[in-house]
Amino acid sequence: MENADPFASSTAPLTWHDFLERMRQPSAADFVKAIKSFIVSFSNNAPDPERDSAAVQEFLANMEMAFRAHPLWAGCSEEELESAGEGLEKYVMTKLYTRVFASVPDDSKLDEQLFEKIGLVQQFIRPEQLDIKTTFQNETSWLLAQKELQKINMYKAPRDKLVCILNCCKVINNLLLNASIASNEDPPGADEFLPVLIYVTLKANPPQLHSNLLYILRYRRQSRMVAEAAYFFTNMLSAESFISNINAESLSMDEREFEMNMESARALLSGLSSDLDGVLKEPQQKSLYSTKEKDPSIGSDLSLLSSEATSGAKLEPHAKDQLITKVPSISDLENKGAAMLLKEDQASLAFREYPYLYANVGDLTVNDVEDLLNHYKQLVFKHVCLSKGLGVPAPPLPLSISQTQAQKHAETMKDSADTRAAEVKDNTLNDIGSTNDVSNQVSLFEVETSESKLPQEEAVVPQ
Amino acid sequence: MGCSSSLPDRNSGRLGGLNAENGGAPDAKNLRVKLVLLGDSGVGKSCIVLRFVRGQFDPTSKVTVGASFLSQTIALQDSTTVKFEIWDTAGQERYAALAPLYYRGAAVAVVVYDITSPESFNKAQYWVKELQKHGSPDIVMALVGNKADLHENREVPVQDGIDYAEKNGMFFIETSAKTADNINQLFEEIAKRLPRPSSS
Repeated sequence: MENADPFASSTAPLTWHDFLERMRQPSAADFVKAIKSFIVSFSNNAPDPERDSAAVQEFLANMEMAFRAHPLWAGCSEEELESAGEGLEKYVMTKLYTRVFASVPDDSKLDEQLFEKIGLVQQFIRPEQLDIKTTFQNETSWLLAQKELQKINMYKAPRDKLVCILNCCKVINNLLLNASIASNEDPPGADEFLPVLIYVTLKANPPQLHSNLLYILRYRRQSRMVAEAAYFFTNMLSAESFISNINAESLSMDEREFEMNMESARALLSGLSSDLDGVLKEPQQKSLYSTKEKDPSIGSDLSLLSSEATSGAKLEPHAKDQLITKVPSISDLENKGAAMLLKEDQASLAFREYPYLYANVGDLTVNDVEDLLNHYKQLVFKHVCLSKGLGVPAPPLPLSISQTQAQKHAETMKDSADTRAAEVKDNTLNDIGSTNDVSNQVSLFEVETSESKLPQEEAVVPQ
Repeated sequence: MGCSSSLPDRNSGRLGGLNAENGGAPDAKNLRVKLVLLGDSGVGKSCIVLRFVRGQFDPTSKVTVGASFLSQTIALQDSTTVKFEIWDTAGQERYAALAPLYYRGAAVAVVVYDITSPESFNKAQYWVKELQKHGSPDIVMALVGNKADLHENREVPVQDGIDYAEKNGMFFIETSAKTADNINQLFEEIAKRLPRPSSS
């Protein structure tokens, strides 16, 4: 097939499974050894993206050649060999991920700059400014494309990340195609496609976009980065390049108008974030306190109180510096936070710090009461202090026991499955780092199979 | 408008379905070629490609991702085949600086203008200069005057195109994506001009 989806065959969970199966064969012992020692060799050196990338590319190429010559793959089709290569790439890169992803400060810095810039530009950008014709504008449906792109940080393997980009492009193209049919326009080409991809990227603002692209560029096996995949990846690179160079001219805006837009976006964001800093930073500190001090007393609560009082005091003059006229109220912030959590795919992770959130009454023991009471006191202090700091009256926390219980119950029903899934996944990923013998390796492979199924099925767009 | 009007297929010399997508190293008999399309927005770049590629498909068949990337294989008389992987680029002025990302490594560049638009002809000349400066030195370039069916509104004389192409060592042709005129000829001519691996 000429224009068949280049990802279709290797996306199937079966191919990954097949790779793991073969690696479990006794005759694959040498391969397993080679893979392990290659991975271990990385821990001896400081990160150097160019050298690391070359080493991975060479290792993958050599191993694929060795597969080809090995009896395990005797009589196998090109496709089977190809999927073995895919499996190997996924395995090796999942192991090396934390070591090579965004491993140098320069990359992380560019990530932050890009994220910040997009955060500003997305506040005021309009489709026309990128030459998107009205017939092709469809902001609601573009949300689907944004979702696909935002999945990029859920995966570790280069190919899986690349598939997120390709799926995003696919959604855009389908929408463009439908729009062109509906409006009797010429079928869409790059003139229509690239501007929408840029717009979608601006709206999605996936964290660490720059590092993700570099990671794919460096660690996706080069021989597989061809044709359609290479084309759409290039579009993503060019979207990134356009965005990081966005200025008044590139949006056909008046210089002053552009600066004003950027300024007010900045004011809005820093207003929100300085408020959010107060809200978000403290709980992290607190959880540190409470784990360090085995028996948190009222005394420690008071020390927290004073530290928060000062941070609250700092907040106000800071907020006054901002250009925005209205300080968002606590409920504004709460709503904003809730909306952000809803958007995140792994929102339940944010609640992991709070062990009682998903607890049922029956799960609790008498020993938990003291702990709970301490948690409650801390929360009340924090809540009152924050309210004070923001200069708004503290809305009372909902107190009715039956009400909170009912609520909690409903939430538990809904979310506990999520949390559990997230936890399981997290543990699995931790496990990947620690394997020392072959028997361990086998069980590791099994766990990973089940882990990999979930995201992969999701990533496949039905034809 | 209208590369969507369907005319009877003229697919002499086309191959359906045949291909060594999977890993087959390109050999002297089966070339795989990256072709980049440059030109102002609205000159019909994607229409040319669709007209070229659609022939072998029934129109309802799936275009997997979109018309901005398509591939098509043609057979030449010497029984070699050429698989074109066609990369479309956004032609709007604000995206001009991104083009090098696309034409890097391309074996062929097709620069398209609209014969009813002198601005698009100027833009085409800009792209030719760009490619001469930054493209790979042995890139095969073609200059294409599209929308030849609109000859009543012609504003760029054929001779201008011929002269400019000749001066710059390019192949020149006028096409109509609407009527399919010269579309296959364009790609066949390009295929003939490709440098061949010396082995065969």
